[in-house]
Amino acid sequence: MSKPRGTDGSLLASLPWTLAALTISLVPHVPFLPIWITAAFLGCAGWRYVIERRRRTLPSRWLRAGLALACFLGVLATYSSISGVGPGSALLAVMAALKLLETRKRRDQFVLLFLSIFLVMSSLLREQYLWSVPYMALSLLVIMTAWLRMSAGESQSARQSFTTGGRLLLYAVPLAIVMWVFFPRLSSPFWAVPIDTSQASSGLSDTMSPGDITSLSMSNEVAFRVAFEGEIPAPRDRYWRGLVLTRFNGRTWSGREPSISRSALDQIEVAGEPVNYEITLEPTRQQWVFALDMPTSWSLRRTFMGPQQQLARMTPIDQRIAYRVTSHTEFRVGTELSELYRNWYSDLPDDSNPRTEELAREMHAAAGNDRDFVDAVLEKLNREEFYYTLEPPPLGRNPVDRFLFETRRGFCEHYASAFSVMMRSVGIPARVVLGYQGGEINPMGGHLIVRQSDAHAWTEVWLDGLGWRRIDPTAAVAPERIDIGASDAAFDGVGQSWGLTAPSRLVHQFKLTWDAMNAKWNEWILGYGPETQNSFMKWLGMDDPSWRKMMLTLVGLVIGLILLISLLLMLRYRPPRKDEAARLYWRFVKKTGLTPRTGETAHAFAQRVLKSHAAPGEAVGEITSAYMDARYGHGGESACSRLRVAVASMR
Amino acid sequence: MSSTLWPFPRTPLKSPRRLISSLSSRVNARAKRWARKRQGSDPATTRLGPGRVYILPTGVGLIFGLMAFAMLMGSMNYNNNLSFVLTFVLIGIGFVSMHQCQRNLVGLELTFAGADPVFAGQAIRIRIAVTNRSKSARYGIRLYATDTSSDIHDLKPGESKVFVLPLPTERRGLISLDRFGVRTLFPFELFRSWAWLHMDISGLVYPAPAEAAPEPPPTMTAHGHRQHDARGEEDFAGLRRYHVGDSPRHVAWKAYARSGQLLSKQFAGADTSSQWFDFNELAGLDVEQRLSVLTRWIVDTDRTLQDYGLRVPGAEFAPAHGEPHRRLTLETLALFEGGKSR
Repeated sequence: MSKPRGTDGSLLASLPWTLAALTISLVPHVPFLPIWITAAFLGCAGWRYVIERRRRTLPSRWLRAGLALACFLGVLATYSSISGVGPGSALLAVMAALKLLETRKRRDQFVLLFLSIFLVMSSLLREQYLWSVPYMALSLLVIMTAWLRMSAGESQSARQSFTTGGRLLLYAVPLAIVMWVFFPRLSSPFWAVPIDTSQASSGLSDTMSPGDITSLSMSNEVAFRVAFEGEIPAPRDRYWRGLVLTRFNGRTWSGREPSISRSALDQIEVAGEPVNYEITLEPTRQQWVFALDMPTSWSLRRTFMGPQQQLARMTPIDQRIAYRVTSHTEFRVGTELSELYRNWYSDLPDDSNPRTEELAREMHAAAGNDRDFVDAVLEKLNREEFYYTLEPPPLGRNPVDRFLFETRRGFCEHYASAFSVMMRSVGIPARVVLGYQGGEINPMGGHLIVRQSDAHAWTEVWLDGLGWRRIDPTAAVAPERIDIGASDAAFDGVGQSWGLTAPSRLVHQFKLTWDAMNAKWNEWILGYGPETQNSFMKWLGMDDPSWRKMMLTLVGLVIGLILLISLLLMLRYRPPRKDEAARLYWRFVKKTGLTPRTGETAHAFAQRVLKSHAAPGEAVGEITSAYMDARYGHGGESACSRLRVAVASMR
Repeated sequence: MSSTLWPFPRTPLKSPRRLISSLSSRVNARAKRWARKRQGSDPATTRLGPGRVYILPTGVGLIFGLMAFAMLMGSMNYNNNLSFVLTFVLIGIGFVSMHQCQRNLVGLELTFAGADPVFAGQAIRIRIAVTNRSKSARYGIRLYATDTSSDIHDLKPGESKVFVLPLPTERRGLISLDRFGVRTLFPFELFRSWAWLHMDISGLVYPAPAEAAPEPPPTMTAHGHRQHDARGEEDFAGLRRYHVGDSPRHVAWKAYARSGQLLSKQFAGADTSSQWFDFNELAGLDVEQRLSVLTRWIVDTDRTLQDYGLRVPGAEFAPAHGEPHRRLTLETLALFEGGKSR
C-alpha cells in the first residue's frame, strides 16, 4: 500500500455539490432513521469536507473497515433485518457516509451520486405526497449539477453547471411525462416485498380494552377518502365496517385472524338502492378493508369476506390503495344461528362484572322479550347520567361494573363493550364492530374524508327473526357524535371555546382545499393504475387499449420528442447568422451576376462591375460606400439601412 | 504513425480479458478502417458534420442504464407511480445526454496549426486549433491519437483554442499523423462521442544529437589557416546580452557586478573564422551515426554564434549561423537520403 498522502484539493469544486446532493436525498429519511445514522452521515460529510479543505489525509483503511463493521452491526441491531425500505435506506445512508471517507478521486463520486439517486427512490417508495414531486425535481437538479461539477473543467463555473443541469432536466421532463402516461401498468406485482414493517400501525387496534385507555388521541390523519357516484348517504348511515370482535375475557374484546367464509356473503339480504363509491385507503399495515355497512361487492383483488362480514385482504395494506365497492344501507344479515354459535356469541367469563349481569337479568325480566330489553338498555343509557368523553377515568377490575355503576364516563368503546356484555348476560348473541363512523364532506373535491378521529365502535346483536342488527349505544348517549361527526363536533367546540371562529374557519377552509388537492393527486397521479390508464387511453381516443398499443405509442412519441430535442440542440449550436451588411452585400453581388474572386476587395469588385456594365454606376458606388461604412466605418445602423435601400432599389 | 489495421494476436490467447481486449482492438481497427473509407481524407480545416460524429455509451453509462432498468423493475413491482416518474426522468436524461453529447462536437472546426521540429526521441507537439463557431459553449473537448491525448479544454462561444497532441518520435524524418480523434464525455460521462479526422498532418524530426560526439573539426580562418583560438579574443567588439551556452570566460563579470545584468563579451575575430562539417570526413561511422554527430555539432556550434558550413552528399551550405541556417541544415540532415546510394 502506498504511503497515505494528503488530498490534493482537486475535489473542492465538486465535493460540496456531491455533499448537498446526498444531504437532500437523505432528508426525507431522517424521521425514520435512527438518530445515530443521521449523525454518522453528517459527521462523515463534515469530516470529509475538512479533509479536502485542509489537505489532510483520509482515514486509514483499518479505521474505515472498523467503522463499516460497526455501522453494519448497528443497522442490523436496530432493524434485525436488512430487507425492506427502512433497513435498506439506513444501509444506503451508512454506505454513503463510509464511501465519502474513501473518496479520493473525482470519479469515485459517481458511486455517491448513484447512492443519492437510490436514496431518493427509496424515499418515494416510503411515502408519496403532493410535495414529493417538487422535492424530486429539486434533488434531481442538485444531483445533476453535482454530476456536471464532477466532470467539469476549471473554466466551468458552478452556475454554468447548474443551468446546464437544469436545461437538460427540462428537456427530459416531456420525455418522462410521455413514458409515464403510456408505460403499461401491471395489475399485480411480480413478487411481494414488505414495504416497511418497522413503522407503527396507524390504523385501528385489533383489540379493545375500554378500561385501559384514559385518553383517546384525536389524530386528524386521513384514514381514507370516499368518492361517491351518487348522493352521499346521510351521516347516520355512514358506518364504515372494519373488523369484528367476538370474544371477551372480562377486560378485553378480541377478534380472530382474518379468515375466508364462503357463506358470509350469502347471509346478506339487501333492499333499496345500492350505493357505489370508491375508497382510497391510506396504508394501515393491517389486512382490514373498510367499506360502508354493508358491502356486497368490491373490486379489490385477493380480498375476501370473513364470517362476520368483515372484509380483509390476504396481504397487509402497506401502500395507498383504491378500490370500488357497492354497499346497501338497508340490509339484513343472517336468518338462522345454530345453538353452538348462539352460545359462542353470548359467552362471558365467569366471575366478571357480576353487577352488570345481575342488572341485565333484572331488566330482561322486566322487559319480557329481547327487543324490548334492547330498547330498555338504550333508554337507560340515554336517560340516566352517562357522559361521552374522550378522557374517561381508568377502570380497575370488572371494568364494565365500574363503568356502569360508578364512573359513567366513556367513549364509544365503553358503551359498545358495556352494551354487549349486558346482551350476552341474558343470552342474546352480541359482537362489537370496529370501524369508522361519519366523515367530513370536502366541498372542494366533492368527496368524503374519514379521519382517524372518526374511529368508532358499535355493536351487533342477534334478534330472532331479524338477524344481526346494528345497534350503536353511543348514539343513545351522544347523538351529535353520530349526526354531525367527530371532527365537525370537535372543530366547533374548539372554535367557540377559543373565540377564534373566523381565523380557525379560514384555517379549516385551507385544510379542506389542501385535502381536495391531495385527493385529486391520489386519484390521478398515485392511483394511475391499470384501470385508470385504460380509461385515460380510451379518453385519448385509443380504442381497445392493450399494452402493445401503448408501448407502440410510447416508442413513437419518445422518438418524436427526441427528434424535437435534437432539433432544439441543433438550433442551440448553430453558427450565428451572418451579419446584416454581408447578407445585403451578397444580394447585390447576386444581382450583378458576377462572382467575387478570392481576396477581391469590395472596391476592386465594384471596379469590375462598372467595367462590365452589369449595374448602374451610381448604384454600385452607393452600395459599395454604404457597405464599407457599415462594415468598417462608424456608420452602424444608418449605413446598414442606406445599404438596404440601395440594394433594394437596384435593378 | 501508421498502426496495423488488422492486428492478429501474436501470442495464443490465455485469459478472457486478453480475448476481450484483442477483440475490441480488432473491432476498433475495423471501425477505423471503415471510417477512413467512408470519410476520405480531410482538408487542413475541417468542420465536423453530424454524419461523422460517432457515439457509444461509456462504462458509467452502462451502469446508469442498468440502474434505470432496476428502478423500472422496482417501480413496476411496487406499482409506485412516483418512482415511475423518477425512473422515467432518469431515462429521459439518458436520451437527452446522448444527443447533447453528440451536439457538443458537431459543428466544431479543426485546423492543423503546425508542429515545431524536434529531435528524434523527443515528443513532437502537433498543434490543432479547434474553433467553436456556435453561440453556445462546448465543454470537455479532448483530442487524441493512438497512445496520446491532449488536455481537456472548454470552448466559449466563438472561441478558438490550440490543442497540443504530443507525439513520441523515434527516428528522424517526416512524421505524419494519419488519424486523430476529437472526443467528449460531456455532459454526464454517460456517453462518449468522437470523430476521426484524417488530415494531412506531418512534422519534421531532426536526428537525435549524438551523446558522445568527436570534437568538431578545427576552425579555419578566412584564409584557410587553422586558428588557435576560435574565439579570437584580441578584437573586443562589444557586449551583448548573455545567452545560454556562452562561455563563462566571456561573461563580463565586472559589468555584472555593477549592473547585476549578465552580459557576454563579443569579439570581432570570430566572424572571419568558420568551420566546415563534412559528412564524408566522418569515417568509421554509419549514416545515422554520422547524421547524429553532425546534428550535435550544428546544435552546439550554433549556440556559440560561430559560422559553420555543412557538406553532405548532394548538398552544401556555406558557413553561416542563426536560426534560418540552423533550420536549413538540420532539415537537410533530417530528410537525408543520400546515404542509401553509397
